[in-house]
Amino acid sequence: MQSQVMKTGNHTEHRPMKTRKLIGDRGDYFLNRIQGEIKANVSACYQCERCTNACPVSHFMDIKPHQVIRYVQLGWREDLLKSSTIWVCLSCEMCSTYCPNEVRVAETINHLRNIAFHSSVTPKEKQLALFHQTFLEILRKSGRVNEFRLMNAFYSKPDILHEKIKSGNLKDELLLGLAMLRKGRLKPFTARSKAIKDIQKAYTQARGEIV
Amino acid sequence: MKLSFYPGCSLEGMAVDYARSIEAVFQALDIDLVEIDDWSCCGATAAHSLSEAMSVFLPARNLYAAEQMGLDIVSPCANCFNRLRYSQQMIQKKVLDIPWPVTGDLRVHDMTRFLAQPAMIKEIRNRVLKPLSGLNLVCYYGCQMVRPPRITGYTDYENPQTLDRITAAVGARVIDWSYKATCCGAGIGIGRKEIGDSLTKRLLDKARQAGAEAIAVSCPLCQSNLDMIQRDRRERPIPVFYFTELIRLSFSDRGNPKWFKMHFADPVPLLNKIGAI
Repeated sequence: MQSQVMKTGNHTEHRPMKTRKLIGDRGDYFLNRIQGEIKANVSACYQCERCTNACPVSHFMDIKPHQVIRYVQLGWREDLLKSSTIWVCLSCEMCSTYCPNEVRVAETINHLRNIAFHSSVTPKEKQLALFHQTFLEILRKSGRVNEFRLMNAFYSKPDILHEKIKSGNLKDELLLGLAMLRKGRLKPFTARSKAIKDIQKAYTQARGEIV
Repeated sequence: MKLSFYPGCSLEGMAVDYARSIEAVFQALDIDLVEIDDWSCCGATAAHSLSEAMSVFLPARNLYAAEQMGLDIVSPCANCFNRLRYSQQMIQKKVLDIPWPVTGDLRVHDMTRFLAQPAMIKEIRNRVLKPLSGLNLVCYYGCQMVRPPRITGYTDYENPQTLDRITAAVGARVIDWSYKATCCGAGIGIGRKEIGDSLTKRLLDKARQAGAEAIAVSCPLCQSNLDMIQRDRRERPIPVFYFTELIRLSFSDRGNPKWFKMHFADPVPLLNKIGAI
């Protein structure tokens, strides 16, 4: 299956192979799990594609929003976790708002993003995933997110630096940073919040995990 | 009148001008804004993207601190407002156990809707010294302030009116357009520049087509997205104002060009033209 997808050379095309079983190997386990965890009636979807038509970034996704819902119904978990869709989604909630059956499409994609982050799957959109991660790292350190510190930490990540140099964007973005500093839009030093320590302690005690 | 104020991280960095104009406007309206004690970040998109539980925990402490003061919260940032409301609803539904005794009785206002109440509009109208007549603008709401309606409580989420009412009260000519609540791309431009650029460019094009000379926004991230893409000055600049900047301008006899020095798309020529500065 994997090799056949690679052979087409087009990642935007996601066609199930003939050998594939229609329903996921574990029956509707995945569907029930998603429905239970986010209280979304995924089964109600009748593929009218209104979510995909409302989505502002659907043309950058490899699995379109209405397909995501279908994939969940079929239990194709791995395909979803490997997709770019879950990272490209902006959580702008257009899809959920306009769904005639009140399927919570945005929440479903967001939940899949949660699952992907806690799994061992390498995210397809590494930069977007790393940005979220850096954001939380800064948040954990200082309680408030300072854009200057955030961008510093983000660009110091070896992966990001490598990507930016390769694509030739680095100079442009450094110049933008300088322009913003000159305009006073980036402040290197801002107040921190002490409350974050309590929040983290409480969170770790309640959930037994640190994010 | 007293309210507790949750500024959010952007208002200390990227949107200092927004913070300053809010201070000036609320002072003029005789409303006390008390900053929430030792507030922390609401987690924005990153927290709910990577851990849904974290996105309930983070705002919960701010809600608790505001409840200790017993003052309704007003939040200028669209995403902060959304996250505070979301957290409050999750706590009320007892989805998660929160170590702080949050009742969730407090009202979380977003700043535009608070100022668009009929009584507040009247107050604003009474204080206008110099109406901004001749300023053609479109209002841009973004997504997080209006959607999802079950969290934000907006009933007119397809065609929101709060900013329209406020900017009309200060004398501007508000133009209707179809992209009021279309997403500007938020933080996606940092990781995938082409996606962010395509979304913001479309918004600016549509604003120009509608005949607008300026855009009024209420979200710090929308402002910086729409403003920073214009730094190459290839097309006719469309200044992107925070709505409080416009209120502040109309409250004063003669505006100060220094208030707008953080903008990339320079609004001073436009304001000179209509005689506001």
